[in-house]
Amino acid sequence: MLIGKVVKSNSHTDYVCQVYGPGEVDHPPTREDHAFGTFVRVELGRGHWLVGIIYDTQLVNPDFGRLGPRLSPQAELAVFSPDYLNEKATLVGIAAIGTMRRTGSAFQGVPEVAANADALVEQMAEDQVRVFHQHNPAIQLAYAPLLLAQGSPLVLHLLRKVVSFLIVLYPEHTQMLSVLRASLDWKAQLVPLGGVP
Amino acid sequence: MSEHKPVALSKAPGETPHEFTLISPDREQVLKVGEFITYPAQVDGTARTIVARVSQRRALRLYPDDFLIDPGIDPDLLAALLGYHEPVNDLFELTAAVIGYYDRDLGDFINPRLPPRSGCPIYLAADEELAGILTKKRLGEVGSAHIGSLLYREQDRVPIVLDLRAITSTHLAIIANTGAGKSYLAAVLLEEMMKPYNRAAVLVVDPHGEYDTLVEMVRIDAFAEGDYRPDVRIFRPGEVKIRASALTPDDLCYLLPELSERMEYLLRRAYRDVRQQSWDERGNAERWTRAELLSHLQRLGKGGKEEREEGGRYTSTAEAVTWRLRSVLERSVIFDDTRQLELDEILHPGRCSVLQLNDVDEREQQVVVATLLRRLLHARTLTVKGRAKKGNDLYLPYPVFVLVEEAHRFAPAAGNAISTGVLKQVQAEGRKFGVVTGLVSQRPGKLDPDVLSQCGTQFILRIINPLDQTRVAESVETVGRELLRELPALTKGQAIIAGEAVNTPVLCRVRARHTRHGAETHDAPAEWRSYIDD
Repeated sequence: MLIGKVVKSNSHTDYVCQVYGPGEVDHPPTREDHAFGTFVRVELGRGHWLVGIIYDTQLVNPDFGRLGPRLSPQAELAVFSPDYLNEKATLVGIAAIGTMRRTGSAFQGVPEVAANADALVEQMAEDQVRVFHQHNPAIQLAYAPLLLAQGSPLVLHLLRKVVSFLIVLYPEHTQMLSVLRASLDWKAQLVPLGGVP
Repeated sequence: MSEHKPVALSKAPGETPHEFTLISPDREQVLKVGEFITYPAQVDGTARTIVARVSQRRALRLYPDDFLIDPGIDPDLLAALLGYHEPVNDLFELTAAVIGYYDRDLGDFINPRLPPRSGCPIYLAADEELAGILTKKRLGEVGSAHIGSLLYREQDRVPIVLDLRAITSTHLAIIANTGAGKSYLAAVLLEEMMKPYNRAAVLVVDPHGEYDTLVEMVRIDAFAEGDYRPDVRIFRPGEVKIRASALTPDDLCYLLPELSERMEYLLRRAYRDVRQQSWDERGNAERWTRAELLSHLQRLGKGGKEEREEGGRYTSTAEAVTWRLRSVLERSVIFDDTRQLELDEILHPGRCSVLQLNDVDEREQQVVVATLLRRLLHARTLTVKGRAKKGNDLYLPYPVFVLVEEAHRFAPAAGNAISTGVLKQVQAEGRKFGVVTGLVSQRPGKLDPDVLSQCGTQFILRIINPLDQTRVAESVETVGRELLRELPALTKGQAIIAGEAVNTPVLCRVRARHTRHGAETHDAPAEWRSYIDD
């Protein structure tokens, strides 16, 4: 499922994707398709993708703060000012956490290459997420320190969501992942209230 | 030579001038606290191998506490989950104390007073290297005592061979909790003294009767060479005799309970008179009998003519002293009018005499030890100064070693045991005249601190009592703080050896005895069960 395209980046691992709006593609993504914590892949070409995770959402609305009256009523904007409607957009922040290839090989960590502007961003299917995390003989979550190093206030909640998702995906590793989730739960829920880290 | 592969790199000078820090992943876990390490250095233009000892070990890398939430999950797996796949993740900062380079001419370590430069490779000291420098003697040499092997290394890889000459010139102490193996260690030392290459003259004061298995030495080949076999003599309680006339007035006053000043005055007068009588009649002041002493007491009790008219000034006092003397001297199995253990009977090169004092009253034990040590020191002093000739019963022409078990009984920190003063005198003067003591005690806290501090060689086994640990720390300057911290953690048969007999303090695993151990702990539940079954 395509959800949008890269419109800018803030750093080597921090991309901004504009989500397709109505009329831009045959099947625009729903809110659930670009939800917080969704695994996405960004096309690099020749069967090579950046793997990222949606960590933030921002709404762009040029009408916000415009207090003066408009000549066209809202219902007629689509007829008289269709461009204006297109200026409203949903942007999602994507943290690049690795790469993967069509062959099935995956790498977790800071990607060597960066995506281009306008690169397509698509939601990853469950089996693709599974391939990305598979690391014989178990699984790997080597991008977690990378996310934590970003210092975003939402990162602990992001990782909790990821770990919870992986527990569903890999029930055989529940005990190990639960240790990680317990640690994240404590830090996310109790440390802000004065719990000792 | 050091093994070629370095185990660490030095980091920086430490808190004190003789310390430095080093960093190591210690993958093979060899850098234990107390272990010996080496580093190369130029000292006054000469390449030297400096020996140091690890004193502290601190982990620099630790898993996050949260990794340890679930005891069922190996934190290594969590680290792998997060992308950390190194096989070893430990990193340690160690502190080491510089001992110095070993100068074979001096037979001692010389501290270069220069820590290694930062980044200097640090090696684990090789077994052969340590065997050559930790102690002064080699296996089987005259004056050597093979006590065991270095604790940190595989058994018998680095033998600990003590210098008996150093021991027998500075006294020794063996201190430990009950059950830590002090009697076992003492027996190992005695065995070494009786080996063909030493043939010592040894006396053991054995208040518990646990050294009688030493007689097995006679039958064991390790002790035989040519015509030599150790002569081990066990003196059972009834065979240990002290001639009453060898007692001093202080001994007598100490033995008699609750003497008033009048009683003591009368006793000392009677003692003086009986010695005079002995001298007049036999030409020797120490040949009086108990009956003669009592007779003098009674005469003094009756007093002169004037005193008799007044009913006798000392009659009741003399009766009281007489009663006490009879109750102590005549009831005792130790004191005798004529018989006593002669010095050359109990002490001779190649002979180990064990005086068993079990079943003997504690005060009498103290008087026995005091009397024996006094005679020994006197005999050795006269012999060394040429005033006792062959044929004289005080002629003792060889140094002697006296091992005193339960030394806190004979030199207690509190109280006024008659033997304390004699022990102190022997420790102060015995070195010059070849009378050397070995003190064994389970309560260093109850042992006179002066006596303990006079022991130049110390064997310290497990000590848990904090008071005892403090006493050891105060009295034994040669053992460093780091080694003393090991005391509660030592297990049975492990000892810290420090002092004159070794070049640097070492942790030793005591070797197995050739003879059986005579102080085995009873298995009470098994014995109860066995009694009922029978």
